[in-house]
Amino acid sequence: MNPGRTVGLALRTLGRNRLRSFFMMLGVTIGIASLTALASVGEATKQETLRRFRNMIGTFDIVIVNPGGPRSRGMPSLVSAPPVLKEADARAIASEVALVNQVATTQFAFDIDVKYRDRSGSPSVIGVSPNWIEVRGEEVVLGSGISAEDDASLARVAVIGEDVRRQLFGDEDPLGKQMRIADVPFQVKGVFAPRGVGPGGSSMDNMLVIPVTTASRRLFNRDYYTGLIVQLKDPEQSARAIEDIRALLRERHGIVPPAEDDFNVTSPAAQVARVTDVGSTLARVMTGVAVIATLIGGAVIMSLMLIAVSERRREIGVRRAVGASRSDILLQFLVEAATVSFLGGLLGILLGVGGTLTVTTLTNLPPAVMWSAVAGAALLSVAVGLLFGLQPAWRAANVDPIQALRS
Amino acid sequence: MIEVSHISRTYTRGDGTPVPALRDLSFTIARGEFVTIRGASGSGKSSLLNILGCLDTPTSGSYRLDGEDVSGQDDRARSHIRNRKIGFVFQSFNLLPRTTAAENVELPAVYASGEVDRGRALSILARVGLADRADHYVTELSGGEQQRVAIARALMNDPPLLLADEPTGNLDSTAGESVMRLLTELHREGRTIVLVTHDEAVAAYARRALLIRDGVLAEDRQQGGMAGGAA
Repeated sequence: MNPGRTVGLALRTLGRNRLRSFFMMLGVTIGIASLTALASVGEATKQETLRRFRNMIGTFDIVIVNPGGPRSRGMPSLVSAPPVLKEADARAIASEVALVNQVATTQFAFDIDVKYRDRSGSPSVIGVSPNWIEVRGEEVVLGSGISAEDDASLARVAVIGEDVRRQLFGDEDPLGKQMRIADVPFQVKGVFAPRGVGPGGSSMDNMLVIPVTTASRRLFNRDYYTGLIVQLKDPEQSARAIEDIRALLRERHGIVPPAEDDFNVTSPAAQVARVTDVGSTLARVMTGVAVIATLIGGAVIMSLMLIAVSERRREIGVRRAVGASRSDILLQFLVEAATVSFLGGLLGILLGVGGTLTVTTLTNLPPAVMWSAVAGAALLSVAVGLLFGLQPAWRAANVDPIQALRS
Repeated sequence: MIEVSHISRTYTRGDGTPVPALRDLSFTIARGEFVTIRGASGSGKSSLLNILGCLDTPTSGSYRLDGEDVSGQDDRARSHIRNRKIGFVFQSFNLLPRTTAAENVELPAVYASGEVDRGRALSILARVGLADRADHYVTELSGGEQQRVAIARALMNDPPLLLADEPTGNLDSTAGESVMRLLTELHREGRTIVLVTHDEAVAAYARRALLIRDGVLAEDRQQGGMAGGAA
């Protein structure tokens, strides 16, 4: 019997006994649905985490140097950061580490009062070097960014985030307007494109930037930085770059073992990996459970097929009498098991994809259906059918036609 | 057509003791003969029929069917022989349930190479007088009609040999007679027919009667045979 005909026969046989076919499919359907949904929701969560990190950090082709030892946590601000990263450090990294393209410097502070007429807010205020916008890949949608002249002249200019624009200026055109930052007058020079939410879920648009020179000397009176953003010539080399920068800063800061670093150097990719790793351990456990569910579905197929074989002894005998060989019967039952399992898998994939889209829509995740998982699930369902169909098919092939026809 | 030479068939009981069912049996049946095999139950006639039908192999001896020695063939080869050279007709019809008459008739073609010819199935159904029943499910047919579907199925691959095992055993006398008339016609068309029965009236249709008793050929005689007719 040719393969297409065998599948056709399997479909007809399954169609004749719909209730049993349904129960045969059920376990596999549930298993495959959970597998598909888990993999896809996991992937969506991962993508969303990545996206939020990108919103916060701007780009992944960088290395970040923060003050404070390797165990310090949170975003260093001017309130909390030890005064260890100086302008000379930034210049040394840019000129002495061969893998480095350029270095942007930042002074970060939050809870700073800003005012425009009768409106006020307290966004993050970041002093940045002129190359910060380029290094981070930020987009200025209105006006322009911080220029080298602004930096050199300690200009009182600000480029504001979308939240600040909305909060302070509403429908007004903010460009050229005088606002007050900690009671110092600044002129609005530009507006950033919205960045969305960060990893913690808070808005990344409630911020404004001013020249870092203005920040250090006119606003905060501090001569150290809360962060250096190091752009690499080759992003693939971030591990080596981190080591080189560390060695340089240890030397410059006079740190000798066993003293710990008074700074830390990380790559955003490493931070993301740390966060997504936690998620994927859980995902692995749940995937294991879903695979077990699928296997249980296979066991259900096996037991129902075994019952079917004893009920269909006469059919087997008739087929043998008219010319079916043992292998024809074996193939018939194997294909039947694989077909019912595959149909169960297909239904599971539909349910899983549907479930994924429901979950991602409800939780505002990107709708990421993981097609590799879908393909894997389809293959798994066929494999489960073949594996668990083997014993029933073997038993069917070895039904004695003489006995079967006599009954 | 059939050359059986010194065949024996011994079964082994669960405790290991051998039980002989057929002992050193030899006979030949020529192409175009209509032969009955009679015998009490337990005489070995079923064992003989299973061997003739290539569903079983003899323990010793040789069996040539249509010039080919089939006693030593493997499962695949014997399945092929059943498919091409033998048409079975059973007492209990053995049609596939929840399947139409035409689908039952097509079944042997499914296991032959090449395409299934629905037209041929329909013309055979017409030949057995069931042209209007092709799309009926077997459960909608009477016993006589079911047996005629089974005969049509046996003819699907145009085999030279028909093996009928008590074909009228489950039918009333009218339906039984019509089935026997059909077999008689098929014999007249040149087909070899071997019929196993213990019904004297049915056996009377054949030209030649073999009697099996205790696993040996007890009698082999020519008789008038209603099937002979003008032939």
